[in-house]
Amino acid sequence: MSSPGRTFAAWATSSRYTAVLALLVLITGYFAATEGAKFVSHANLENLLASVSILWVVSMGMTFAVLTGGIDLSVGAMVALSGLVLAKLFAGLGLPALVAVVLTVLIGALLGGGVNGMLIGRAQLSFFVVTLGTASLFQGLVSIWSQTKTTYITSSLIDGIGFGDALGIVTPIWIMIGVFLAAFAVLRWTYFGRDVYAVGGNVDAARLSGIDVARTIIAVYAIVGFCAALAGVIQAGRLGASSPIVGADIPLAAAAAVLLGGTSFLGGIGGVTGTAVGVLFIGTLQNGLAIRGVSSFWQQVVTGVILIFAVGIDRLQQSSAGFRIRRVREEGSV
Amino acid sequence: MQQAAAPVLRAEGVHKRFGGVHALRGADLVVLPGEIHALVGENGSGKSTLLKIVGGQLLPDDGRLDIAEGNRIATVSQETSLVPDLSIAENILLGRQVRRRGVIDWRATRRLAARRLERLGLDLDVAQPVRRLRPDQAQMVEIARALSADARILILDEPTSSLTDDEVASLFASVRRVREDGVATIFVSHRLNEVFALCETVTTLRDGRTVGSGPVDETTPDDLVELMVGRLLDRPSAAAARRETSAEPVLRARGLGLPGAFDGVDLDVGPGEIVGLAGLVGAGRTELLESLFGLHRLQGRIELAGAPVVHRSPADAIRAGVALVPADRKRDGLVLGRSVRENLLMAAQSRLRRLRVPSAARERVVVGGVIERLRIRAHSQGSAVTTLSGGNQQKVLLGKWLQTGPKLLMLDEPTRGVDVGAKGEIYKLLLDARRHGIGILVSSSEAPELLTLCDRIVVMFRGRVCANLTRDEATESEIARFAGGHA
Repeated sequence: MSSPGRTFAAWATSSRYTAVLALLVLITGYFAATEGAKFVSHANLENLLASVSILWVVSMGMTFAVLTGGIDLSVGAMVALSGLVLAKLFAGLGLPALVAVVLTVLIGALLGGGVNGMLIGRAQLSFFVVTLGTASLFQGLVSIWSQTKTTYITSSLIDGIGFGDALGIVTPIWIMIGVFLAAFAVLRWTYFGRDVYAVGGNVDAARLSGIDVARTIIAVYAIVGFCAALAGVIQAGRLGASSPIVGADIPLAAAAAVLLGGTSFLGGIGGVTGTAVGVLFIGTLQNGLAIRGVSSFWQQVVTGVILIFAVGIDRLQQSSAGFRIRRVREEGSV
Repeated sequence: MQQAAAPVLRAEGVHKRFGGVHALRGADLVVLPGEIHALVGENGSGKSTLLKIVGGQLLPDDGRLDIAEGNRIATVSQETSLVPDLSIAENILLGRQVRRRGVIDWRATRRLAARRLERLGLDLDVAQPVRRLRPDQAQMVEIARALSADARILILDEPTSSLTDDEVASLFASVRRVREDGVATIFVSHRLNEVFALCETVTTLRDGRTVGSGPVDETTPDDLVELMVGRLLDRPSAAAARRETSAEPVLRARGLGLPGAFDGVDLDVGPGEIVGLAGLVGAGRTELLESLFGLHRLQGRIELAGAPVVHRSPADAIRAGVALVPADRKRDGLVLGRSVRENLLMAAQSRLRRLRVPSAARERVVVGGVIERLRIRAHSQGSAVTTLSGGNQQKVLLGKWLQTGPKLLMLDEPTRGVDVGAKGEIYKLLLDARRHGIGILVSSSEAPELLTLCDRIVVMFRGRVCANLTRDEATESEIARFAGGHA
């Protein structure tokens, strides 16, 4: 995210997700070669993208949290909670579907910013403890409120969010594109986006530069909540119901996607383009393995390996970045 | 110290390349046993690279390196490598604790550590954690650790950059004690007065070459600077004293207090005036600047250009036209991983308001102007700040704050860890800012710096203003006298 007039070589070495991008191309080629039409068909590719739409939307939000040097472990519970909120607003209170959907994502943003964001940004508690706590809290609320029962939602609008299509492309994919573009634009072209990087890169310098660190963090967790709630709406649309047991594996998968995409665990470095590649990598791997008939348990094992791989890449990049800095110091100064 | 002893260390014609950069191109260094040997040179002259090669962390590409048999080398660098929460004893003997029947004998370990410290003339409770120590004490614990590994050559890489005068004196006393045991010391410092106070021999590097080496007695600070820079330096001086103005002061502070830091401080800074703030570390200088910048709730009254103000946060202070260039640019000043452009605009943008999109084209013009005016050497506006040298980073930091258009510019140790060349440029920039009517408040523990820059020097002692010296009254010894509490 530096000057626009860069050469390709500069891009290839500066970008932190080139390795994952290469791996993505590699496994795509592998599945295409071994599975042929079963993998490369229009139907399967659309299915692949739609199946990662929930992870995609959550991961875009998660990227903001990781960029500030945090993480949000409550996104899984938030997905389940917003599905339930949607069901209660629509089926319970009988609000129009559109109103229910809008209110649901706003409530998600409010919970993320008002609970996670306030506790982390204003009260300066550890992001890990706070979101671990709210993950349990939200999940508990879901179980109590839903009595662990599935609530069916019959609405053409909400169904449309899960399965409808426009211009021959299903709605979840449009939502993915929209969320990605919005997140990309915010991070790259707004003062708020710069604040996110500054807070993650050096919180003391950011504070002394007059950046309102607490407000930035609150806004970041509001964005995470907003994205998680939007993912909950997509989930409800795809299931045609609100289920209290969805989302358990989302926090780790989203964190894996963000880290795989080259965003630094320490904050300040990375972006949503890498996250997009990370999500596609996880999705393609799962889709390809499913086509080969590999059981979902093995898919879980592979996801675990990917997560460690992601952290390993982060680590390697940290140390090579450190190496670069050291070298610069030796060459340039003192 | 003219003895015929064989050198403990002899490096000749050392070359080292990093990619395209030729960091060392024929560096020589000869160190005799038991001597204190200064290694000086500008940033980028190759000192660190040479020391790393001597210390065995890097291999030379070419050249000879002879270290007499059995002479271990220990390096104490600028960044402390102590574990803050372990005790002094554990830090000194980390990995070498005294063992008895397989378990650590803590009493014997502590006794041994205490003996090591005594050798340096330090009497500290070795059971206390390192976190509680003053910077100079921590520095000496590092030296004790280095020596406890039986080092015969001690490399001190800018050990004094964060120490006050008193602390430097006690560090020097320790180094002299070490010499009595026959240990040779290689001492790196940007402060030439320290070289003359402590060292016997001085070797000068420029552009990766050794350009001079000889007894300290036979040279002068001016000779050394000329040797380091390769040209005569025109020292900017505030001597062209500002014209007296009767204008309203930029800052008028009355009865400022912050519990535990300072009390009853009155301070005035006029437009186009540079006021120095002198005092030992702990005298409350940093806290005073931070308070004026809205980082602490303070008691008392502040007026900026005649209007009373209360700053609750740095953002308030910046909007009111106050800027603070912090002492630790890596910790508090810059976001090292972000670009020169973003860093230069970071503080200024908090004056604008948010829900607007930055205009890339206008920013490029503005930032280009700053880079040119401050003569910042960077590959491009988009380069990460980490890729810049220390002096250039410091200029980015200064530019970032000048960019906010301050009425009052405060600087805490503005040239710490910066070489003589960049120092001169920073002084010029400050004098230039003064000409534009900015009121400047400089806190520094280097008296010569204040004497060069300031129209007036305020000395603090234990949280109180104890002297207010005009340019004509102030001398190094006067400042030291008041700063030490001898009013």
